[in-house]
Amino acid sequence: MSLYVYLYGVIPTPEDGDNPFSSHKGIDNEHELQMKNYGDISAVFCHVEEEEYGEEVLQEKTNQMDWVQEKAFHHHEILMNIRERTALIPMKFCTIYQSEANLDDMVHNHQDQMKALIERLDGKEEWNLKVYCDRDQLSKNVADHNLNIKEKKDEIAQMSKGRQYLESRKLDQYVQQEVEREQDAFGSALHEQLTAYSVEDTVKKNWNRDVTGKDEEMCWNSAYLVPLERVEDFLEIITNENEKHKSSGWILEATGPWPAYHFAKLT
Amino acid sequence: MTHREAYENKEVGLIDILDTVLDKGVAIKGDIIISIAGIDLVYLDLRVLISAVETLVQSNMDAESLSSDRFDQEKEELTNATERS
Repeated sequence: MSLYVYLYGVIPTPEDGDNPFSSHKGIDNEHELQMKNYGDISAVFCHVEEEEYGEEVLQEKTNQMDWVQEKAFHHHEILMNIRERTALIPMKFCTIYQSEANLDDMVHNHQDQMKALIERLDGKEEWNLKVYCDRDQLSKNVADHNLNIKEKKDEIAQMSKGRQYLESRKLDQYVQQEVEREQDAFGSALHEQLTAYSVEDTVKKNWNRDVTGKDEEMCWNSAYLVPLERVEDFLEIITNENEKHKSSGWILEATGPWPAYHFAKLT
Repeated sequence: MTHREAYENKEVGLIDILDTVLDKGVAIKGDIIISIAGIDLVYLDLRVLISAVETLVQSNMDAESLSSDRFDQEKEELTNATERS
């Protein structure tokens, strides 16, 4: 059975040439982390057994949530470790090559691009923002403060029973629409403040509560690439805004610094 | 303590990691035998949840497109139904 190559990321070649990661075990908990030098850049990888990381086996394993959880954490931990020492192009979870020769080909084909990308990412950090909100509280706020809704409620109270039912349903729908508009406006306004400090940004889709496991609803999900000297100001906005809007049911969660998962792109 | 230190030391949840590690990062097509997230087969057991998410998104979109015309039409149908009974 042959050895496959599990690639974590690509870094600028360390000046002393030593492999600073040799003490780490790879994803299979057996093979050690290796560094392969390609001139200015180096690849950080580990070997894995084909019988454990072949395509079919992997399809199977990715159906086991605890396997994914454990391995995704490992992948992330290694990348965090690398990120602390050096600039880094992070690879996706389970980026696997069939042989070292294939890895060599890939790196050679993308060498210039990778060098440029590393330079672009250097001196910057990725920070992620997720905004959650208490939907019930927000619905109540919207219903209490929106004059249209108030008027409509009074109107409905005067109607016949049958119409009341239909009109209330319509009004509920309108309230929910307003809530969503409010959520989006809140996220956009915050996003605009933050992008003043970032050089790149991306807005992602929100996850529902089945995925987040939270009581509050996710209503904004975004990532930013922030120059080191601006990180403090960037985070201060989040801290202040969180403080300011906590009582109205908003929760702002910033995480980082991350490897530049969202901003490391090669074509 | 700086803001950065305060945030850096916060615990990161599984959702944050999956949201980045599985979804993003560089994948170079070609010799990669499998880049799971690239072909969207991951998110694994989350897959089920994801499809739930997609359904939810879809139904939200439908709700938005529920114009007052359609609403009136529904209302009429309902009225008719009640009248018949």
